[in-house]
Amino acid sequence: MFKYIIKRLLQLIPVLFGVSLIVFFLMRVCAPDPAPIVLGQHATRESMEEWREANGLNEPVVTQYVDFIKGAVTGDLGTSYYTKAPVTKEIASRFPATVELAIIAIILAAIFGIIIGVVSSVKKNSIFDNGGMLLSLVGVSVPIFWLGIMLIILFSGILHWLPSSGRIDPSLRPDTVTGFMIIDSIIQGDTVALKDAVVHMVLPAVTLSLYSMAIIARMTRSSMLETLNQDYIRTARAKGISEGKVTRKHALRNAMLPVTTVIGLQLGSLLGGAVLTESVYAWPGIGNYTVQCIMKSDFPVVQGVVLLIAVIFVLMNLIVDVIYAFLDPRIKFEKKEV
Amino acid sequence: MKRKVIAALLCTSMAITLMAGCGSNKKTGADNASDTTKTETAGDEGNADADAETETGTTEKKASGEMLTKFADVPEDVDKEQTLRYAQGADPRGLDPAMIDDGESSKPICQMYEGLLKYGDSDTEVEPCLAESWEISEDGLTYTFKLREGVKFHDGTDFNAEAVKYNVDRQTVNKTEDMLYADFVYGDVAECNVVDEYTVEFKLTKKSTPFLNNLAMSLGAPMVSPTACDAANGNLNEAPCGTGPYKFVRWDKNEAVVMERNEDYWGDKGVAKEIIFSTIPDNSARVVALTNGEVDIIDGIDATVVDQITSAGCLLYQAEGMNINYMAYNTQKVTDPDVRKALSEAVNIPELVDSLYKGYASQATSILPTFMPGYSADVKQTAYNPDDAKKILEEKGITELKMMAYTNPRPYNTATGQTLAEALQGYFDKVGVKVSIDSYDWTTYKEKLGAGDYDMCLYGWIGDNGDPDNFMYLLAHEDPEMNVALYRNEEYNTMLSEAASMENGDDRNAAYAKMEQKIADENIWLPISHQQNLSGYVSNVQNFIAHPTGNVFLSKTYKN
Repeated sequence: MFKYIIKRLLQLIPVLFGVSLIVFFLMRVCAPDPAPIVLGQHATRESMEEWREANGLNEPVVTQYVDFIKGAVTGDLGTSYYTKAPVTKEIASRFPATVELAIIAIILAAIFGIIIGVVSSVKKNSIFDNGGMLLSLVGVSVPIFWLGIMLIILFSGILHWLPSSGRIDPSLRPDTVTGFMIIDSIIQGDTVALKDAVVHMVLPAVTLSLYSMAIIARMTRSSMLETLNQDYIRTARAKGISEGKVTRKHALRNAMLPVTTVIGLQLGSLLGGAVLTESVYAWPGIGNYTVQCIMKSDFPVVQGVVLLIAVIFVLMNLIVDVIYAFLDPRIKFEKKEV
Repeated sequence: MKRKVIAALLCTSMAITLMAGCGSNKKTGADNASDTTKTETAGDEGNADADAETETGTTEKKASGEMLTKFADVPEDVDKEQTLRYAQGADPRGLDPAMIDDGESSKPICQMYEGLLKYGDSDTEVEPCLAESWEISEDGLTYTFKLREGVKFHDGTDFNAEAVKYNVDRQTVNKTEDMLYADFVYGDVAECNVVDEYTVEFKLTKKSTPFLNNLAMSLGAPMVSPTACDAANGNLNEAPCGTGPYKFVRWDKNEAVVMERNEDYWGDKGVAKEIIFSTIPDNSARVVALTNGEVDIIDGIDATVVDQITSAGCLLYQAEGMNINYMAYNTQKVTDPDVRKALSEAVNIPELVDSLYKGYASQATSILPTFMPGYSADVKQTAYNPDDAKKILEEKGITELKMMAYTNPRPYNTATGQTLAEALQGYFDKVGVKVSIDSYDWTTYKEKLGAGDYDMCLYGWIGDNGDPDNFMYLLAHEDPEMNVALYRNEEYNTMLSEAASMENGDDRNAAYAKMEQKIADENIWLPISHQQNLSGYVSNVQNFIAHPTGNVFLSKTYKN
């Protein structure tokens, strides 16, 4: 197992190299020149030229890339063109918001997705099945930005039940310990802040979880249906084991393998920045930030964020594979290598 | 069959649930018409000329609260423990006045920092601030400022002549490439000398009347604490420290800037204990945050959400903005003044402005906004005359022209350059000229302008310092990305440099009016509109003024 993990981690190197290559050259080919954006209304040809020179944009692209890689290897992703702050610092200050939202959303998605999937498969073709599958169809087809705006209008604009934007009322914000609002307010025993953080979390988390929930529900249902048709399930039933136990112990555990993959990958994509949800709810995470930086041609930041997302994806894949071994004792990674 | 019916029913009910949001929203929109009318009627009491005033471009009163021109006295019994929440559309770029160029940074900066001078509450006349008085030498090259005594920066550092010198040197002799307004504010300063502890002297390289206005700006000019600046390695973007009525508490990136009242402030202390500038990028989410009571004031809104704001009982603040939205003729290509005149005659500006900006931009009768010194109502722009235009253009054989436009909305043109270009294209079409439009996103557009491959192009300007030179200089600029008309006229340049060194007053204003008329007569630009600054605020907010520079000064603003 240990060898396998090391091997997978080593695979990160070519992946990151490839990703960095693509993002670096794509930004330079497709994105507009950052100089007029950074220098603003008074930018003259002369000042823009000076700025490009000072920021190394007049160097050959390959030289720029080599410089970037040299920095990245030592953990220096450069400084943001626009704010002049180090990219690592800019990302670090926004990443907890994204992680917090992604984790809550994936928990919601997993719980409701699995419940809907299991009920749909057990009560196949019933009203629960149809309803559940319709809900998941809606989940995968509704555009997130539209759903987000509708929920804001309904729950904040009309009913005034929930706040429409942000992570917490800034005047209630607890001191930063972990960067996670909910955990920080628990650590400091601040129930008012905790309540406010939870209330702020509701709409973004529900919006973000809907798509993943739909995918998980559909995957659970089909995987469960397949498992329930297996011979060993029939045997279990024949042995007189209760239907509930058959479903939980014999079917669900076996059906969970593909579902775990989906949950892992979904979490990976949510951690990579839920761009639309974060933008609609003014959620101060990396998705929202990346969009702004792409608009401003802030190359160093975009490169940094994309590298981070690539790392997250590779790691999530690895974690999913490791979890496989725990869920299914038949899987032994070392054996595969022989 | 039964299953199908159930499925169909479920489908319908879910669709209805999802549409609920939409439906309710529409209802709000429909209800608005009557609500807005009611508010307008109430608001218009004793202000019957409001609509007429819109025509001439002065501030109007529509579904709005009091349009103050001066801050009122704050009553004694106001809650001094309150928090004032302001939401804007983007996160500040930074909180160091020397390092920024955007309005989102400028607004928090105005609460925490001050310059030697400041603007009037609702105009761009300069007033004393950290400098109590000033003298200008006879030759206009030496400015001596007497500084206010007993002022301290938020970190306890004394404000004195040394601090002023530090700030000026920082943006002149020690300037770095990211000090975006250093050249603009201090470009004419040869040196800054300490005369005594509270007297400082500026030597200029040339006479410059806009210099005083520059010192009142929120970009470049505010004074930072030398101690704090050194401690932060010369960059206060994340550790702001000034002398203003509010002190920095923290900046949660992409979320909010929090500041608290400066209890040691030298002047009238701020009313609200805490001010929070939140970032809510989405326009409609910002409006919902206002109507949901999450924030007290929002800005950066456009005409489409006005009904939503007023129907929720919130108020609108409409102030003419310090900007100009114009079309420029490429004078190197469309060289015949008669052709330019005919093209200008083809466009019905009042109709165009009304239909595109729905009453939230005023028709530009001159390059300068009406509230600025140098504006003259006597300047005559080319009048709408399509018949004459058609005749001349036919005679001159002009049938095809090329226009360049930007695709984005801009602060001076919320309808986007593309929309404006298409509207203009319609007018030119009526007089027999086919106009092709090339449009690009803003940054690509600026690059393309440099090549000069256009007959006409759309552009605009956001004023910096409230001085007429700031607008009129565009036509003398050597950079083709600034002077997009590529206007090269020695006479104009001489008039401009003479006016820039004249003392403020009637003579100087007349000089600018003369220049305006010259540009209008030669039809170099087709001035279109001045976009208004729109803010929305909850009805219990008192003493709120949105300054024409786009800034807000919230130390006297409070909630009942």
